[in-house]
Amino acid sequence: MSTATSDPPAEAKPKNPEKPQTTPANAAAPANAESAAPLAAPKLSGAELKAKAKAEKQARRAQAKASKDATTGGAPAPASTGQSGHPAAESKGNKAKGKQDGALPANLGVTGRATGARGSVPTIPPKPENPIPECFGHLSMAKRLPITQADKDVHPTVLTLGQQMATFAIDESITRLKATLLAFKKVIDSYTTPPGNTLARHLTPHVLNPQIEYLSACRPMCFSMGNAIRWLKLQVSKIDPDVPDIDAKKQLCASIDAFIQERINFADVVITQKTADYIQNGDVILVYGRNTLVQRTLLHARLVDRKKFDVIIIDDPYERQGQVLAKTLTAEGIKVSYSGDFGALQYQVKLADRIILGAEGMFSNGALYGRCGTSDLAIAAKDFGKQVYALCETINITERVSTDSLTYNEIDPERCSSSSFRLLYDTTPSHYLSTVVTEISSAQPTSVSYLLRKLEDSN
Amino acid sequence: MATQKGGYTPSLEKFLDSLKSRPVQASVELLISLLKRRQIKGSEACATATAHILLQVVARDKWTNVDQLLGRIQLIGRKLVAAQPHELATGNIVRRVLGLIRDEASEERNDATTDSPRPASPSLPAVSHASSPSKPARPPLLPSIGGSFARTQSMFNLLSDPNVILSTGSNASTPGQVSGASTPILNPQATNVSSLRSEVIDGIQEIMDEIKMVDEQVQTYADIFIHPGDYILVYQPSRTVQKFLTRAASKRKFTVFLVVDPSTTATSEGQYASLLKSMASNGSSVITVLNAGLMAYMSRVDKVILGARAITAQGGVVVDSGAAAIARAARERRRTVIVLGGVYKLSSESKLLSESQIEWGDPSKYVSFADGSLVSQVRVKNAVSEFLPADQVDTYITNLGAHAQENLHTIIADHYKEEDINFDLYGKAQR
Repeated sequence: MSTATSDPPAEAKPKNPEKPQTTPANAAAPANAESAAPLAAPKLSGAELKAKAKAEKQARRAQAKASKDATTGGAPAPASTGQSGHPAAESKGNKAKGKQDGALPANLGVTGRATGARGSVPTIPPKPENPIPECFGHLSMAKRLPITQADKDVHPTVLTLGQQMATFAIDESITRLKATLLAFKKVIDSYTTPPGNTLARHLTPHVLNPQIEYLSACRPMCFSMGNAIRWLKLQVSKIDPDVPDIDAKKQLCASIDAFIQERINFADVVITQKTADYIQNGDVILVYGRNTLVQRTLLHARLVDRKKFDVIIIDDPYERQGQVLAKTLTAEGIKVSYSGDFGALQYQVKLADRIILGAEGMFSNGALYGRCGTSDLAIAAKDFGKQVYALCETINITERVSTDSLTYNEIDPERCSSSSFRLLYDTTPSHYLSTVVTEISSAQPTSVSYLLRKLEDSN
Repeated sequence: MATQKGGYTPSLEKFLDSLKSRPVQASVELLISLLKRRQIKGSEACATATAHILLQVVARDKWTNVDQLLGRIQLIGRKLVAAQPHELATGNIVRRVLGLIRDEASEERNDATTDSPRPASPSLPAVSHASSPSKPARPPLLPSIGGSFARTQSMFNLLSDPNVILSTGSNASTPGQVSGASTPILNPQATNVSSLRSEVIDGIQEIMDEIKMVDEQVQTYADIFIHPGDYILVYQPSRTVQKFLTRAASKRKFTVFLVVDPSTTATSEGQYASLLKSMASNGSSVITVLNAGLMAYMSRVDKVILGARAITAQGGVVVDSGAAAIARAARERRRTVIVLGGVYKLSSESKLLSESQIEWGDPSKYVSFADGSLVSQVRVKNAVSEFLPADQVDTYITNLGAHAQENLHTIIADHYKEEDINFDLYGKAQR
């Protein structure tokens, strides 16, 4: 971060003498300009400038290309991210290489423009402050990529979104997906196909990919984002080259809207209703932390279905989002009992009739990818023969398989130092879940792979 | 508590300091209130305090025969246990002392008189069915209470009829036991009281030494159980567990997942500073884990080490709240769960111990009292300790070594007398 803040002035120094007429904004650094400007004659002609700019652009392209090759080398990952937008492999790419790659083109772009000799500026600035324990080295972590380090092609909306994701202001998988799609809509909206290109061929590699790379550099993509981006790329590639730009863009935006409506909004409504039906009068429902879908379900059961039931909230002591849920529920007249940690977990589970869990994702083997602690809860529930419902939109289902919690996971960037470490997710094996409720069906967790296939067929 | 330098906060140290300057009965009452207010907490502190107070009782109370002393100890024991029924170590120490007195007494009798089994046998039924009305050995209790009252209220005593005090004392603490017949064993034993007293005092001091030595002794088994390259998960490690790790770190390089109490994250570094330091200096690494659900880590963890608050004869363990979930997760992945604790934590008590035995504590741990909407509407629960069933523990390490679950019975038999095991410390004291 420190280098990021120091860059602009340093850059301004040499730049001013070169082309003072084109950079009125740089008058903000008057001291530099005064000292430098009289010396170096601003004699670069327009043609020279142009040539220079061109050379730089080419260099940048080469850089970007090289980086892309590097990342694609291992897996067909970020370049064709659609296939594998997801925490682990992706983020690994972004973590080890992606970080440098992501930073390099931007950095070089800036510094190269300045003198070219300044290429030795530390290009990997914030690496050492996060000592990830060796045994978790394969896991990925969100990081606050300074906006200045982002690729210049990244759309402002996406820039903001990336920051919001990196700071966990937008956290839940489905919310992130929705925000991403809306942002991409804006990106597409502001896009014009350069002459000599077709939208279907140009949009994805030159416009969408930088956005995707930036987003996943900010925080590893969740399964749903990977799925949706793959879908989006497919839509782009399907566009007829003969269709005029405006129509193509309209078509794309319309299908994004439809996608959001169908796979997120309606899905949520359907899941909420279905799960609320499972709740009986007089039930005690146990939930973990705060999940939007679970909260909506409880409110739906209370306000729409007029059911009377009690809720036990077990919370993650490091997030305490359950308190927010507790307030929301008590405001609607639901009796709530709250536990701040996993103390007396078995006892609490024994009191409950049903356990409702929100899923961050589902693996095709039926395992649930959820907030860390979910699996402890599910195990306790199984011990006492309680019904465990996992709520998940189908867009969150991935074709990948995970058998333990360390295959795919994320490290909490806020709590990753020499004195603290925290995993954000865990994986609950399928046999601890009774029912997976999706907008298509509520079924055994093992039927998830079938669901997935069905969805692929329908696409 | 102990870290507060305020000067007025009661703590174990202050209590122990004040013992000598205070009358015995006053110390007993003070300890009871300290236990009730949880100002002395933790099994080691409770055990130490109990041993000290019993030492005072033995040393400074007036008692003229063994049964009188036993009765007195039982009475105080019940009160202490009632003050903090979740802390089994208190009862354990009481039972240990009772057994000790019995041992010493029977030795004395063997030396002094020929009819040694006779006085011991009548006390048996009296103790084991504490509620039965026929108690030949019970009456001597009365003078002892009167005695302690006489000591504490000696000024009042000057002008009053000793019988009145005697009866009020007995009514207050042990009503319905005024059967009043004197016992024949009183006289022959009177001569031995002073030697018995010193023997018992020595014995109690041994118990106190044992409590102090537990950490040292337990840690000698560290390098047997911790292997190079292991990943060890510890949950809010007690001093015993910390020393265990430290010792192992001096011989092996391994990794510790240190799970801290979420509410003390800020202070945890100070709390575990010496552990972190010694681990680091020996090349082992500590990862402080800030997660509540630890299933995610279990595929990496090799062994889970938990500190016990108490261990039952059946192998169940009273642990810090949250540890049961961890042990369950470890079981899920078939990881070894090791429980550490001194023999003094090993309890014959099984009455209160079911899976639902949970000590609930201060709810403000996670929910601030300033948060009105939560405080007034939501039922906030915070468990302090919970019960870990025997089937989720693989092995127990005490100061005597590592034990299998099946061995615990024999250790209990070695340390407690049967009549004391059967003695109900709970029921009567809760009046």
